Amino acid sequence: MRQPVLFAFLVVGLTFSAIWSLSAGAVPISWQVIANTLFDLEGPKQEFIVLKSRLPRTFLAMLTGGSLALSGAIVQALLRNPLASPKIIGINSGAALGVCLMVLILPGISLAWLPVAAVVGGIVAALVIYLGADLRGASPVRLALVGIAVGFVFDAGVDFILVTSSDAQFSAPLIWLTGSLWARGWTHLNLVWPWLAALAVLAMLLSYWLDLIRLGETAATGLGLRVRVARLILLSIAVLLAALSVSVVGVLGFVGLMAPHIARTLVGGSHKVMMPCAMLVGMWLVVLADAAGRAIAPPVEVSAGVLTAMLGAPFFVYVMIRAGRAARV
Amino acid sequence: MICRRFFLSLAASLLALSPLPALAADIKHELGTTKVPDAPQRVVVLEFSFVDALAALAVVPVGIADDNKRENIIPEYAAVFGESWQSVGTRKTPSLEVIASLQPDLIIADKTRHEAAYDTLSQIAPTIVLDSLGGDYHDAVDQMSVIGAALGQPAKAAQRVAEHKEKMAGYDREINKASKGVSAQFGVANAKGLWLHSPVSYNGSLLKMFGFSSNMTPSEGEVYETTYVPTTLEQLSVVNPDILILGKYVDPAFTDGWAGETLYEGLTAVKNNNVFYVTAHNWSRLRGLLAAELTAQDLLEIISETSAKK
Amino acid sequence: MTSEGLARNSGGGIFLPLLFLACCVSAYASLSTGGRSDVGIWGLFEDGGTGAAVMQDIRAPRTLVALCLGVNLGLAGLILQAITRNALASPAILGINQGAALGLALGLVFPALGAVLDLKALSIAGAFLAGLISFGIAGGFGGRLDSLRLVLGGVAVGAFAYALVRFTFTLEDDVARQVLRWTVGNITDVRMNEVRSIAGWSAGGLIATALLAHRLNLMALGEAQATGLGADPRFTLLAGAIVAACLTGTAVAVAGPIAFTGLVVPHICRLLLGSDHRLLVPATALAGAALMMTADAASKWLTAPIETPVGVVVALIGAPYFLYQTLFARGLD
Repeated sequence: MRQPVLFAFLVVGLTFSAIWSLSAGAVPISWQVIANTLFDLEGPKQEFIVLKSRLPRTFLAMLTGGSLALSGAIVQALLRNPLASPKIIGINSGAALGVCLMVLILPGISLAWLPVAAVVGGIVAALVIYLGADLRGASPVRLALVGIAVGFVFDAGVDFILVTSSDAQFSAPLIWLTGSLWARGWTHLNLVWPWLAALAVLAMLLSYWLDLIRLGETAATGLGLRVRVARLILLSIAVLLAALSVSVVGVLGFVGLMAPHIARTLVGGSHKVMMPCAMLVGMWLVVLADAAGRAIAPPVEVSAGVLTAMLGAPFFVYVMIRAGRAARV
Repeated sequence: MICRRFFLSLAASLLALSPLPALAADIKHELGTTKVPDAPQRVVVLEFSFVDALAALAVVPVGIADDNKRENIIPEYAAVFGESWQSVGTRKTPSLEVIASLQPDLIIADKTRHEAAYDTLSQIAPTIVLDSLGGDYHDAVDQMSVIGAALGQPAKAAQRVAEHKEKMAGYDREINKASKGVSAQFGVANAKGLWLHSPVSYNGSLLKMFGFSSNMTPSEGEVYETTYVPTTLEQLSVVNPDILILGKYVDPAFTDGWAGETLYEGLTAVKNNNVFYVTAHNWSRLRGLLAAELTAQDLLEIISETSAKK
Repeated sequence: MTSEGLARNSGGGIFLPLLFLACCVSAYASLSTGGRSDVGIWGLFEDGGTGAAVMQDIRAPRTLVALCLGVNLGLAGLILQAITRNALASPAILGINQGAALGLALGLVFPALGAVLDLKALSIAGAFLAGLISFGIAGGFGGRLDSLRLVLGGVAVGAFAYALVRFTFTLEDDVARQVLRWTVGNITDVRMNEVRSIAGWSAGGLIATALLAHRLNLMALGEAQATGLGADPRFTLLAGAIVAACLTGTAVAVAGPIAFTGLVVPHICRLLLGSDHRLLVPATALAGAALMMTADAASKWLTAPIETPVGVVVALIGAPYFLYQTLFARGLD
């Protein structure tokens, strides 16, 4: 079997990246010191940097990377389009508008509410999109177009708020949205991991629905699946996975697009195998992006979201061209 | 082994340096109350107004968020600090790792910029958070007492504030002679636009204190809530200050393109040759006692030039 | 397209004068709003004084630029929609806005790059590159755009550009402020120079589009029929794309990226006048100018005393319209 080897390779690669992530950053720390700190050995340690900053960040990167990848896999399957991504269901723009509105309407509110505003904004956007598209017969194409249009509307609102209130009060929330793990720690991890883990397990368990839906609506119904309900549940899972991720780390573009693609190339389209593979790939991508962002230009951190986009955009063009060629043949 | 002995001796020497036992003080700040060790020795500051406060108290910080440009710490500060401090990156996203590696015993952060990072900063060292970016001149002076208490030097801080107030009163007497009934307006220009600093901003409050009036009043008796207001030439012609003070981030700046236009040449300040250029960095980014004194000196110069013309 | 039913009332006899009237009203609105409430339209005819300076140096150029932008963007959208036979084709959907923002952000983050090309040139280059890529992705060079690919391509190009633009927000305040100000279409500070640099293109573009009108009609019939009637569709495609690119490029150069005008205006005109491009060309030019001048007026009073950049005002009108269109247009599924 090829698949076990492949999964073993992914896990080993991910582990090595995670270990590198512990050593990458503005302050060079020797392996000796990292080991001392991690395993509580005798000798010099770097308590904060290793244990309270890099370690939770690495975990958070894995968690959100995996979640975004699963969300992307579900969205692509439901829209029957390999070019779709969680952005299409409005998560990013919704979260951005939610955060901006919160700061505008309730100035002086504690930023601890920011993730809540982001999640609410993302869910509202997704609801508008789903209801809007459903109203018109919810074909995958319509859903995608309505999703993008709602994204434009929300973006216009964000732009309006940003240009008309030039105050610095928006600068901090904006940094949140650039897709950066700056200043994230155990508190943020503890806030989201139970939810994300539960949703990920649920997504894996229900992944066979996606395989049924792939067969076409009539076939799926024939096999006893209530397609409308299944779609709604799966879409809700995808929305929550992405919205919760965005709420803690901001917009990490293209992860939800790239990971399922790479996974499909590696292990084929069966979701039962593809979803775990996509999750590992997504984890790997974000761990590498976060670590590289810290290592590139210290002491300035390049947002992980910038790096995933740098990688993702050429990838997207490549996929587009290949898909175009396949369509023509 | 050698490594371990080195660190032990380092720890021993650090202990020897710090007065024992370290008495803690409870400092109230924007986000709560923080226990700060008595007379902290290793301070990290994340906004320029705190740099100013430390310079006023002659405390040398170990780390400064200088936006990655050492020359942002102007000679007046550098004269006090020397070169021993380290940059911790930008004010917006300072490197927490570098801060941690400096092993500070006090971090002073800004409310607007660093609220989201307060928990993490607190894990590194006791952190106090003050409203620097959103505050005006009087807030900056008031914060001196908080910073003085946190540094274990409340008496010195009070004394420095008193000295400062006296100094400013001296400037005020000079400037007040010329500022009665005169409107002055400060703004910064980059390549793309002009932003006026409204009466509620730091610079606006300073100008007001020196007796200048502001023509920046929005229609229908509203008050400006925003501190920095993007302004077109047409709007500037309504504000039409007697003295226009501009800080340029780039040269040539956006406002230089207005030279020769009827409306610009018709401004009172332009007609009377009362447009003055100051260092944008000093006026716009720096706040605090020393910064205010520098601003006052600039204003004195501006006043002497305007009165020389009369 | 719902052209069958509307083709019948395509006389245009009432609508063209109405659009012209709308144009005059919006021009008046644009001219009479601004930072000074003591200045009115009479300043245009005064000789000397504040009123004359404000009207002649500031407001009149601004209104004229808004007019030209409306003509340019409206016609560019009309041409793109005709040659691709796709109702969603327009500069904004192609990610041109975010491309311009990207070019600018690169120039500000890497000063070395900014020293070689000035910021304006960089943002125009970014806009063109983004437009070309998403146009290519959607199969535009093959002459047949796929709606979904077009929109997805634009979104991806936009997301890439926005990642870097948002990154600049984590750097210095002043850089962030500049980026924000460049990346939304803004005509706050235009003068007669800008009018001179765009008006010629608008006039030329209008004439060129009018000359192409008949060929655009034939394109709508389908390529085979067009060839049968003696018009080489490849020529129409090429000429149309060049004219549309020039119109968009000159607009971006003067005002920065302005979204949705190119999408909304041709649509509304087709709803009113049917599908004959000989009528649509003047109608789109008039309606585009009216929309932009109205948006300009709104940009001055919407959040007074601070101005809202005109690009944001247009997006606030255009984005909901695009949503409406995706919800209710037929033939998308």
